[in-house]
Amino acid sequence: MATVNSTAEPTAGPVQTGPASLGGRKRNFLTGMTLGDFLAVAPFVLFALMFLLLPMSYLIVQAFQAPDGSFTLDNLAALGTPKTLDSFLISIRVSGASAILGCVIGLFIALAIIRGKLPDGIRSTVMTFSGVASNFAGIPLAFAFLATLGRLGLLTVVLKTVFGFDLYKAGFNLLSFWGLTLTYLYFQIPLMILIIAPAIDGLKREWSEAASTLGASNWQFWRFVGLPVLWPNLLGTLSLLFANAFGAIATAYALTGSTLNIVPVLLYAQIQGDVLGNRGLGAALALGMVIITALANVIYLVVRTRAERWLK
Amino acid sequence: MIMKNAFAASVSVVAMLASTAVMAQTDLNALYEAAKAEGQLTTIALPHTWCGYGGVIEAFKAKYPGITVNELNPDAGSADELEAIRANKGNTGPQAPDVIDVGLSFGPAAKEEGLLQAYKVSTWDSIPAEAKDADGFWYGDYYGVLAFGVNKSIVTTSPTSWADLQKADYANNVALAGDPRTANNAILSVYAAGLSTGADAAGAAEAGLQFFKALNDKGNFVPVDGEASAIAQGTTPIVVNWDYNLLSQRDGFEGNPEMDVIVPSDGVLAGVYIQAISAYAPHPNAAKLWMEYLYSDEGQLGWLAGYCHPIRFNDLASRNALPADLMAKLPAADNYAKAVFPTLDEQAAAKTKISGEWDTVVGAKIQ
Amino acid sequence: MIRGKPWAWLVFGLGALYFLLPLLATFLFSLSIRKSGYTLDAYANVLADPRFQSTLGYSLFIALCTIVIGLVIVVPAAYYIRLRAPKLRPIVEFVTLLPLIIPAIVLVFGYIRLYSTSSWLPVLGWQLGGQYVGGPLILTFAYVALGLPYMYRAIDTGLRTIDVQTLTEAATILGANRLTIIAQVIFPNIIIAVLSGAFLTLAIVIGEFTIASLLSQPVFGVYMQNVGANRAFEPAALAIISFVITWGAMGMIQLLSRFAPKTARKD
Repeated sequence: MATVNSTAEPTAGPVQTGPASLGGRKRNFLTGMTLGDFLAVAPFVLFALMFLLLPMSYLIVQAFQAPDGSFTLDNLAALGTPKTLDSFLISIRVSGASAILGCVIGLFIALAIIRGKLPDGIRSTVMTFSGVASNFAGIPLAFAFLATLGRLGLLTVVLKTVFGFDLYKAGFNLLSFWGLTLTYLYFQIPLMILIIAPAIDGLKREWSEAASTLGASNWQFWRFVGLPVLWPNLLGTLSLLFANAFGAIATAYALTGSTLNIVPVLLYAQIQGDVLGNRGLGAALALGMVIITALANVIYLVVRTRAERWLK
Repeated sequence: MIMKNAFAASVSVVAMLASTAVMAQTDLNALYEAAKAEGQLTTIALPHTWCGYGGVIEAFKAKYPGITVNELNPDAGSADELEAIRANKGNTGPQAPDVIDVGLSFGPAAKEEGLLQAYKVSTWDSIPAEAKDADGFWYGDYYGVLAFGVNKSIVTTSPTSWADLQKADYANNVALAGDPRTANNAILSVYAAGLSTGADAAGAAEAGLQFFKALNDKGNFVPVDGEASAIAQGTTPIVVNWDYNLLSQRDGFEGNPEMDVIVPSDGVLAGVYIQAISAYAPHPNAAKLWMEYLYSDEGQLGWLAGYCHPIRFNDLASRNALPADLMAKLPAADNYAKAVFPTLDEQAAAKTKISGEWDTVVGAKIQ
Repeated sequence: MIRGKPWAWLVFGLGALYFLLPLLATFLFSLSIRKSGYTLDAYANVLADPRFQSTLGYSLFIALCTIVIGLVIVVPAAYYIRLRAPKLRPIVEFVTLLPLIIPAIVLVFGYIRLYSTSSWLPVLGWQLGGQYVGGPLILTFAYVALGLPYMYRAIDTGLRTIDVQTLTEAATILGANRLTIIAQVIFPNIIIAVLSGAFLTLAIVIGEFTIASLLSQPVFGVYMQNVGANRAFEPAALAIISFVITWGAMGMIQLLSRFAPKTARKD
């Protein structure tokens, strides 16, 4: 069974003594590299430089450029306009909502398929499906939801004709903040399942057995053992889900396009150049996005390292 | 009857060709040779179902063998096309477009930015003066009017005017075919709505924004992009789009669903698109040959087959060069007679106002 | 007697409902192209379209290149980090998370500016035997970047479950050089992780649209978008087809992993 993402890491214990046993050469990681070592990391370093670090520095430079090329802080100041602040706020709220819900629901589903003693094929089917669904986004996803929960969607119509329940009269609207969040969950939940599964695997059987021997109920096991152990992973994955949703543009654009103003939509309009087009402002927007998602990811990394204490 | 018209048409075409100087023919041959040496033409943003470009490109390839047509990004908008030129300055690879087809208002800006090169086609004089740049940097290629596309299986009585759209019958029905902050046709739809309220050219943008604000507040407006799938599925049963797009979509539906294409009675806006050659075109001669083809009678009629009105429409009509069967497929001519052609300044002003204020005026504030 | 706890079935059932309903709705819509009733005509139209075949083939080819290049970049680096420089791991991990931080559109605009034919490294103008390979090359590297977080995570997980230290020592004693160790000792032992990284990369590449469209590359995602411009039912058919293809490829990879040599787990 292919495990994809794991936040559970073994402690780094014995590795430090390793180099000594390999010929006993003293090395620190910079000057002690053999040719083989150098060739091993060269592709990675070169790739990271050319295709990640360079574009990012280009972005940072651009964020401080006026249309005529001179240095300016105007673009950053423009980030403070009500409209931009508003869009950042909306983006943060949508990302946060879909991250939290995705985290909770994904956790329950993962628990169900791993610890729910369901028939064998179910876990691998769900994992494969999660792999596919976590990338199902954009216009096809928006259309799928419109076809299901839109005013003339499958479910809406069935509820009205078979159960006499008018979804839209009851106040539901797919083209709204919560509708967008609901749609985002389609790729958030699978991502959560993929990432948390190995961590749940790591909850050793011995622990639940020990707990029940000591007289703990299922609820107590989770309250005092299970959840605390999983907690760092959950928090870390929450950050990851947040970053994932923050950068998603295609789905939002397709669904609520001209009424819900999230940052990637704003960014797209600016960077396209012509109508509103201020390249520097676009870069500033992107920088804002980068800082927010970077924060989320740093939290993820820090929290993940702490999780390594518990799970081998 | 048809034969007589076809004969008359061909005679007039021959007459036209003969009447232009023999030198033009030799020029054309020389141009063809030069284009063949370049071997390729790179186009961008030409969906095959837009104005019959599929047929036009095939006919060009058939008429001038030896030139491959490299089609980039059929889904690009006008802004994307200019971006493609900018991004590929000095790039002679296949990513760099030779020719662009953009909304009228993008022409002057592109010329000023130095993205275009001038070339006057041999039929230059028969292009209306309002639709071309005096120096030949860009010139109109075709136009259409904004119309309503209506899914008849969902909407029982089709709206016939902009004012109709505000009726309660059309709750959750009306959509635009694009984002009013970036897409040319969406911006002009708002402008057209403004005109229909009786506002003059200067006030139409503001009136249009207010129109859509009212539409949104009433609950008639759906913010989803009015693509073919959305029309058929029912999310956007009424869409405002160029007539040629709607007619082409109607053809594509093949009756499922039935679709009405209606030119509104109270505000007909014509949108002109322009062709231009990129200043950094890797294949300038192929580009010029392409222009010559498009502005020849054959090219212009190719667009007519795609439901677009070619820019030399009046010229062709005056020489009886319009085939009757093509004309029969288009909506009645009297709608087009009322069409308003906004000037460049009017369009530019509308563009700035509508794209800048759409969010604050119409956009929903989500709490 | 039904196996499994009732709450698990409930959760699974609700989840299945949420995920399958939209797919069902899309599928039913794709069957509705004729007034007369459900037919597969939309699918026939799509499958007969030569652009469907060419763009799908092109996307699969790019996906393959992306996976191979991704492996060449990640496996030796992850191996080295795990073996010799565990302190560098957080830095390397942060680098691999950069693609999740920088919006894709920003990355690709950066590439276009940095590597256009008039820049310091004109990748976009490179040719191979008369064909322009710059565009596909940049596209592939962009996809490698997009898949980097997942690829690295998968390989790292795989390396964790095998005893890299002992394997390396044993191989070195037997006289193998670094390349042989990576290629013939480490790699076969992490094949499951490699496959899972490959399968996520495949899913990413098949559906991707933004980057490919800005680079004007004729990939499957761009084709799907174009079909949506004027056809009503074919896009839904395409969405289902693409879902099935991705699932099929992943299912095949899962199948292959059953035949992979079982690794010796640490506990």
